[in-house]
This record gives sequence, C-alpha cells and structure tokens, in this order.
Amino acid sequence: MATDKELSDFLKSTEKRAFKRTAYAVRDEDAALDIVQDAMIRLAEKYADRPLAEMPLIFNRILSNATMDWFRRQKVRHSVLQNFSDLEPADGADSFDLLELLESADGAAAIPGPAEHLSREQTLALIDQAVAELPARQREAFLLRYWEELDTAETALVMGVTEGSVKTHCSRAVHALATALAAKGLKP
Amino acid sequence: MSSLHDTRRAELEALEARFALRVAGRLGERAQALPHDLSERLRVGREHALQRARRLRQADAALAEAPQWVAQGRSAAAQGPSWGLRLASAAPLVMLVLGLVFIQHLHRQAEIRAAADVDAALLADDLPPEAYGDPGFVAFLKQPEP
Repeated sequence: MATDKELSDFLKSTEKRAFKRTAYAVRDEDAALDIVQDAMIRLAEKYADRPLAEMPLIFNRILSNATMDWFRRQKVRHSVLQNFSDLEPADGADSFDLLELLESADGAAAIPGPAEHLSREQTLALIDQAVAELPARQREAFLLRYWEELDTAETALVMGVTEGSVKTHCSRAVHALATALAAKGLKP
Repeated sequence: MSSLHDTRRAELEALEARFALRVAGRLGERAQALPHDLSERLRVGREHALQRARRLRQADAALAEAPQWVAQGRSAAAQGPSWGLRLASAAPLVMLVLGLVFIQHLHRQAEIRAAADVDAALLADDLPPEAYGDPGFVAFLKQPEP
C-alpha cells in the first residue's frame, strides 16, 4: 500500500507529463487540467491502497479513461475518430533514413547543433509541435511507451489494444516524427 | 534468411527506441518548464486530490473504530429500510384510505336515513302524496296567505 507521501511524490513526478499528454489530446489547457485533477482524485480515492509499483499503470489507465469521458461529454468523439483515420499516413509514405538521422544527432553533441539558428526553446517547441501533430493513437502509444516508460503489454492494456497494435503505432509514430523533424532541419 | 530478417528487424526496433527515447527526453525538458500558473494549478489539484483521499481514509478509520451498533446502523442505512419499517411507513396511508371509505359509508347511510324520514313524513301526513302532483294544489300553495 502506498503511503501518503509516496502517493504525493508519485503524482508530483507524473502530473506534468500527464498534463502534456492530455493537452495534446484535448487541445485545451483548462480541460486538460480538469481531466488530470479528476484522474488524480480517482487514483487517490480508489487506488491509494494499491502497491506503489502499480500506480503508473493504474494512473495512466484512469487518465486515458478520463480523457475519453471528456470526449464523450463533448460529443465530438466521432469527429475525433474520423480525424484519426484522416491523419493516418499510408504505409511506406515516409522516406527517410532513421539511422542517418540518429547518427547525425549523436554527433550533434560535439559539433554545433543541427538547429544552430534556433534557440533551444524553439527547438523544444518544434519537437512538441511535431508530437502534437501525430495521429492521436500513434501519439498515445508513443507517449505511454517512451515517455511514461510503460512496457508494450502495459501500454496495450491502457489503450485497450493488442501488443502488436502498440508496436505498429509506436513504429509509425517514430517514423512520422523523424520525417517531420527532418523536414524542419531538426534532430532530437 | 529468416535469421537475417529477424536481425534487421531487431536493429530497426533498437533504432526506433533510441530515437523515441531521445524525443521523449526533449518532451520531458519542455514539460518541466511549464508556465508557473499551470504548475501551480497542477500542485493545487494534486493537493486537493490527496486531501480528499485523506478525508476518506479518516472516515473509514473512524467507522472501523466506532461501536458495533453505529456500524450496524450505518450498514442498515446503506442497505435501505427493512420490510417491517416499510410496512410501518405504509400504515398511515392504509389508515387514511380506510377512514375515507368509512366516512363515505356514513355519508351514504345519512342520505338514506334522510330520504326515509321524508318518505315517512309524507306517508304519515293527512295530505295524500298524490296532492303534490295536482296542479291546482301547487297553485294553491303559491297563493299568498290572506
């Protein structure tokens, strides 16, 4: 069972990522804050007796459900789902060399950065924008898997999809991001 | 052939993971630099959630320590009223309906008695009842007394 302090520390460590993830999805900061607070209340009230190790999975699941509830309340879910399919790129549409991008990014520490004309803040903002522009399911899989550091099975559980689907979404998200960042002359 | 394919697949996945973790790192940097008002609102939200959870736990703890009858009372309240209580609640309504039926019965009996009294008075009178059907007698009754 998580103690009060452990629960508080856990929420503190995850709240900003949770907010950003939700804001990407709902594109409304106030709504994102409400959703995150609602998820925190649900976690604290109903799952505070669960082991600390289970908290990330439970919290992310609650957050995803709360976000979906928000969409249902807004009665725009159908249009969002429509947008998902509109934004899905066709297979093989992206043509870039991930290895090349990574290798040049590795070398970026020693030589002037690829975004030498941009400030660091601008670079981060462009990466943020590229993530925000990902199709929703790809973005969710990507953020859960690599930002929240859930494993494939946990990500699948939170998203309510198969592990294979998570891998596909993540792979597409990575390729889409690499293409978008390369187009802007950026390397992460 | 299959082994070569698996190796390439594993290499690609490793590359994707490296790239993804690098992007996630940048996102983390940006998330940590959220505007102050957003950070504060998140902090207030977190504290509110924790406070609610604390109050809930305190209420549960108080219930666990309360005398048995309090717990039973609360559990009974949670389960809803018993059948006896429900019947007792319905008793006034049943009494009201029975009272209305009884009053209607009394009213009907009073009407019958009044009609019987009129009939008896008419039959016992010297004037025969047929006289009231006679137009001449009716005209006589309407005449002003001298």
